[in-house]
Amino acid sequence: MPLPRLFRTSSFRLTVLYAALFSASVIVLFAVIYWSTSFYMTGQLDAAIDSDFAELHQGFRIGGATRVASLIEDRVKDMPSGPMFYLLENPAGGILAGNLPKLPHRTGTFDTVDPRAPHRDDRPPLRARAAILPGGDYLMVATGASQRDEMGELILRAFGWGSLVSLLLAFGGGLMLSSGLLRRVEAISRTAREIMEGHLSRRVPTRGTDDEFDHLAASLNAMLERTESSMHAMRQISNDIAHDLRTPLTRLRQRLELAQRKGTTVTELRAAIAASISETDAILASFGALLRIAQIESRAVRAGFADCDLSELLRTVVEVYQPTADEKNQTLSADVAGDLTTFGDRELLAQMLANLMENALRHSPEGAAIRLVARGGDDGLTIILSDTGPGIPVAEYENVFRRFYRLEASRTTPGNGLGLSLVSAVAALHGISVAFADNNPGLRVTLSLRCRIR
Amino acid sequence: MKILVVEDDPETAEYVANGLAEEGHLTVQAASGDEGLFRAAAEKFDLLIVDRMLPALDGLGLVKALRAAGNRTPVLFLTALGGIDDRVTGLNSGGDDYLVKPFAFAELVARVAALGRRPPGGPVESRLCVADLDLDLLSRVVRRGGREIDLQPREFRLLEYLMRHAGQVVTRTMLLENVWDFHFDPRTNVVETHISRLRGKIDKGFALELIHTVRGAGYCLRAPA
Repeated sequence: MPLPRLFRTSSFRLTVLYAALFSASVIVLFAVIYWSTSFYMTGQLDAAIDSDFAELHQGFRIGGATRVASLIEDRVKDMPSGPMFYLLENPAGGILAGNLPKLPHRTGTFDTVDPRAPHRDDRPPLRARAAILPGGDYLMVATGASQRDEMGELILRAFGWGSLVSLLLAFGGGLMLSSGLLRRVEAISRTAREIMEGHLSRRVPTRGTDDEFDHLAASLNAMLERTESSMHAMRQISNDIAHDLRTPLTRLRQRLELAQRKGTTVTELRAAIAASISETDAILASFGALLRIAQIESRAVRAGFADCDLSELLRTVVEVYQPTADEKNQTLSADVAGDLTTFGDRELLAQMLANLMENALRHSPEGAAIRLVARGGDDGLTIILSDTGPGIPVAEYENVFRRFYRLEASRTTPGNGLGLSLVSAVAALHGISVAFADNNPGLRVTLSLRCRIR
Repeated sequence: MKILVVEDDPETAEYVANGLAEEGHLTVQAASGDEGLFRAAAEKFDLLIVDRMLPALDGLGLVKALRAAGNRTPVLFLTALGGIDDRVTGLNSGGDDYLVKPFAFAELVARVAALGRRPPGGPVESRLCVADLDLDLLSRVVRRGGREIDLQPREFRLLEYLMRHAGQVVTRTMLLENVWDFHFDPRTNVVETHISRLRGKIDKGFALELIHTVRGAGYCLRAPA
């Protein structure tokens, strides 16, 4: 039969291991206490019988066995049943004096029992010292050792109960701890299962205790947040493709159908084919831009990141568009500090800047002034692109970043409505903030980069 | 030129091979990566056109294997993988150029011509001459008919690129990539405006035009026949 889940948790196993180690140390501690206590008390008993034995032995040297016998008689008279016990036998085995019955002879210091007690199993313990006197007489002095033995038993009992209680506590504590941890882990797995079942907005509960589980939950939640938003972005893209690419595809189909029905001369058909190819190219360009935005938004494109000379890049962008501005009689001026550098993807940054520049050039009328200023500061650098064109209404600042979103005023100018979406995606990838402001008249775009200056 | 087209989609392979054959090239087809590698190693080609995603051995692996074996035949990757990192990995693996599907056929023809004429590590030129136009790469001086022409640094690079590919068609994207290092298609006609500005300096006031527009393809700098 498999163990219940609780007993298989790692926290429970840890608790049991801990309890075992704790019990082992308790056993060692008690053993030391038991051993030193009994050693001390045996020493006390030995001292008492040794001094009495020495006195009797002294008596023997003065007056032989008779003197010893009379000394014993004196002692026994006052205390026939302890705490001191004596036995003096002559070489023939006859008891000369004492309050103990005849015993098997043993010499030295040793533990024995009181032979007078009725029950064999219940005889009080004695600590004894015995010797054969020079004349062949046997002398034994003993004292009751029950106090010492009781103390030992007391210690053993205390140890037993103590161990039992601490083991129970360890076991119970382990169970409590494990079930608590198990509950929190269960909460996490439950959330994971719910998410797998499609409830993407579920989050791991936190307790607000700021412990490691809360930290784990917070990290998981942050991860889930990110996953959900990128899945949302993916879904958004499918919707965009479905809705917004339908219009140009419909147009393409109409054109081809018209050519099929009405086209009679080769020239007409050729013209229809050329128009269809450029329509297809426009669709493919939108498609490519969408994929690119999606790829950037998924943040899977950090491979191209390197130190990037932003000053050079900004000057190149200005240089590329200078003739375009000239053609529209627009003034394009730039003031770019010479030491601006950042860590990023040059290709993407170039496209971001080109998109912003193209917006400024296209939406501004003839004779407008476009100015690019880039400055480095202590805490980063700022790129400001301002124009004197029609600008963007404040209420539309957020909307223009949406895919395929086009302002009413610019519906007729060419463009697919993806330029600023790409700007926003590239900026987010690089940690750049994009802010719009009114240039009175026109638009001022401020890019702020938190990064180092060379 | 003798060109090996390694492409697994039969329709695209036919389209590319037949189109190039019409341009006067000799084409050989291979439908898988290992077949492509085998043929490229066994025969001498002037150019390999390699799809990135191929059965058995992918395009990257094919080119890496060839390069590792010391084969320096120019490689043009032709691929649907137009991701931002894909071009870099393609060129790093030993490819010489990278063209993303779908592409205009004129773009492919122009790039094939540019790769085929690439000098295989020949001596470094210090002067480029086309008709009476003379560009000195060391002193960075441009003369036409003996008269010195003042060019901006980027105009110089544009002219240099056109002269290096004199007689060939260069497309807008080739110019964007090689002159400005822009690997995306700007929505504005930036290349046209730069070319017209360069024309104003190179061709204006001269009887013969050197910079020609090739409709639907790009530009070509060539001496009058």
